[in-house]
Amino acid sequence: MPAAAVTGSRRRHSLGLAYLGLLPSWLLMSFALLIPILIVAGVSVSTRGAYGGFEWSFDLSGYRQILFNEGWTGEMEFTPQYLIIILRTLILAAVTTLLCMMLALPVAYYIAQQPTHRKALLVYLVTLPFWMSMILRIYAWMIILGRDGPVPRFLEFFGAPSGLSLMYNDGATLAAMVYTYIPLMVLPVFASIEKLDGTLIEAAHDLYGNRWVALRRVILPLTAPGIISGAILVFVPALGAVLEPILMGGGKQMMMGSLIQLQFGVAATGPSGRPSR
Amino acid sequence: MKKLLTGTAFVICLASPALAEGSLNIYAWSESIEPQLIEKFAKEYDVDVNVDGYTSNEDLLTKLQAGSSGYDVALPSQHFLRIMIDEGLIQNYGANKLKAYENIQERWRNQWWDETQEYSIPNSYGTAGFVVNTKEYDGPTDSLKYFFEPNDALKGRIALLSYPDEIVSTAQLYLGVPFCTEDATEMKKVLDLLMAQKPAVAAYSSDNIEGRLGSGEVATHFWWDGETVRAIGTGAPLEYAMPKEGLVGWIDSWVIPKGAPNYDNAIKFIEFMSEPENATAEMNYYAHSSPLKVIEADKKYTKENAPALYPTVPVEMARTCSPKAQDLVNKVWTQLLQ
Repeated sequence: MPAAAVTGSRRRHSLGLAYLGLLPSWLLMSFALLIPILIVAGVSVSTRGAYGGFEWSFDLSGYRQILFNEGWTGEMEFTPQYLIIILRTLILAAVTTLLCMMLALPVAYYIAQQPTHRKALLVYLVTLPFWMSMILRIYAWMIILGRDGPVPRFLEFFGAPSGLSLMYNDGATLAAMVYTYIPLMVLPVFASIEKLDGTLIEAAHDLYGNRWVALRRVILPLTAPGIISGAILVFVPALGAVLEPILMGGGKQMMMGSLIQLQFGVAATGPSGRPSR
Repeated sequence: MKKLLTGTAFVICLASPALAEGSLNIYAWSESIEPQLIEKFAKEYDVDVNVDGYTSNEDLLTKLQAGSSGYDVALPSQHFLRIMIDEGLIQNYGANKLKAYENIQERWRNQWWDETQEYSIPNSYGTAGFVVNTKEYDGPTDSLKYFFEPNDALKGRIALLSYPDEIVSTAQLYLGVPFCTEDATEMKKVLDLLMAQKPAVAAYSSDNIEGRLGSGEVATHFWWDGETVRAIGTGAPLEYAMPKEGLVGWIDSWVIPKGAPNYDNAIKFIEFMSEPENATAEMNYYAHSSPLKVIEADKKYTKENAPALYPTVPVEMARTCSPKAQDLVNKVWTQLLQ
C-alpha cells in the first residue's frame, strides 16, 4: 500500500478497527482473568457464612487472620503460622527453580550443539513426559524411591540397611518437583541458546577469555531472556504445588496450596468429610 | 421471523421436560454404587441414568449451596445431612411414607440427623479407624494408644489422612474429649497428642492408601472399614483394629436436592435401592454395611470373613459441629502442619 493512501481519517478508522479486532481477547481477558480476580478480592473482605459460603458485608477478619489469631487461652496473639507456610512455599519453589536451572542449562546447551535431526529427537524426548498425567508420573516416583523400589535396592547393594525407604521427606518432594518442572526450563533455555551466535564465543576465546569468562560474560547474558522465562515458568506453578508435597513429602508440613485447600474445603464448610472414600 | 422464533421457543419448552422425564442424575460418593444396579434400574424403568462422583462431603455441600445443581439424588453423610436440612438445601420427600422406610432396619430409623425420617433413606454405614499390615506389625491393636502413642515398632511407619475429620474425632475418643467441643483447653489436649505423635508419622495423606499400606511402606494407616475389607479381598495382609476406646461412625443417606428436575425418578430410584435384593447387591459391591433389610443368605461379607464390618467396640457417630467448634478443629490441624 502506498504511504500516501494512509490519510488521517483512514488512520483513525483503522485504529478503531484495531480495537474492535482485539475485542475477543479483551472479552476473554476480562471474563477469564479480571472479573474472577475482582470477585476473589470482593469475597476476601466479606463475612463468612456459618457453614461455608459468605455474606456480602464488609469484614477484614480474613486479613487479620494472616497475622493474629485467638490463642488457646482466648486472647488475640501474634501467630506467624501462615507466614511460615508462605515462606516455606517460596523457599521450595525457589530451590526447585534453582535446581532446574542448574540441570537445564547443560542439557539445553548439549541439545543445541547437536545436528538438526537429532535436535528434534531430543526436544521431543524432553516433552515426552507431558504426554502422561502428572499424577501418574508422581506415582512412578513413589515406586522408584519407595520400599523395595529400584533406588533403595541399589543403595542396599552398597550396604544400606534393608527395607530402606527414601519416601516422605523434603528430598523426595524436591526430586519430584524438579522432575515435573524441568522440561519447562529446558525448552525456553534451549530456544535462546540455539539462537546464540557461536562466533561470539570464539571471539571471547580470541580475546583470551577462558571457558568460565566466556560462560559468564557471553553465554549467560545472551541467554538470560530464556533463563528468566524458564524461571518464571517453573517458579510460578511450583508455588501452587500440592501433589508433590503431599504424595512425596508425606504432607507433614503444609504448603500454600494445601492450606488453601484446607481453608476452602474443610474449614469453610464446617464439619468433617472423608476425602478418599 | 418473529413467528419462527416463537415457534422455536415453544418447541424448546415442549422438548425439555419431555427429554428430562426419562432421566435421573445421581451425585454420590465415587464408586459407591454397584454399576449393575444402575443398569438394572435404567432398564426396568426406562430411564437415562447419569452418575457423578464426589470424594468429600464438602464437595457435595458446596455444589448444593451454589444452587440448581441439576442433581436428582445425592448421598451425604449424617452430619452433613443435618446441615442440609437446616440450611434448606434438600427436600422433604416424605421418606417415612415410602415403602423404603419399612426396609430400614429398626435401629437406623429416626436418628438425630433426621428425626422424622422425612428427608432421607440410608444406603450404607461404616466406621473409621486404624488398619495394620500384619506382615509389618504383629503387636497389639486393641487400643488407640498403639496408634497415637506408638512404641518403637511403629516409629516412622504410621500414616494418617490429609484432613482433620475422623482423625481429630478419634483422638477425642482416645482422650475422652467430647466431639465438637467448644472448649479450647480440651482441644489443646488433642493438639498436644497429635504433636507428640508427629515425629513417628511418615505421612498425612488420603491418596493411594491401599498402595502405601499394602506394600509395607507404612505399617499402619488410618482408613475405613469397607475399603479395608475390599483390600483384604484382593490379598493384602491387613487387619482392621478394634480399639477399646471405640470407632468413629458414619452413615450415608439418599436425599433429594431442592429443585431436582426429575423428582419422580428420584423417588423410584430410592425405592429401588432399598429393596432387599438390591440392598444386598449394593452391600456386596461397596463392602460397607447396609442399614437396610438384606437377604442374609446372599450376603458376601459375614462376621466370619469380614469382621471389620461387625465392630465389637462402641461406635460413636460423627456429629455436626458448631462453626465455633469447627474452628477449633481447623486450628488444631493448621498448627499441627504449620
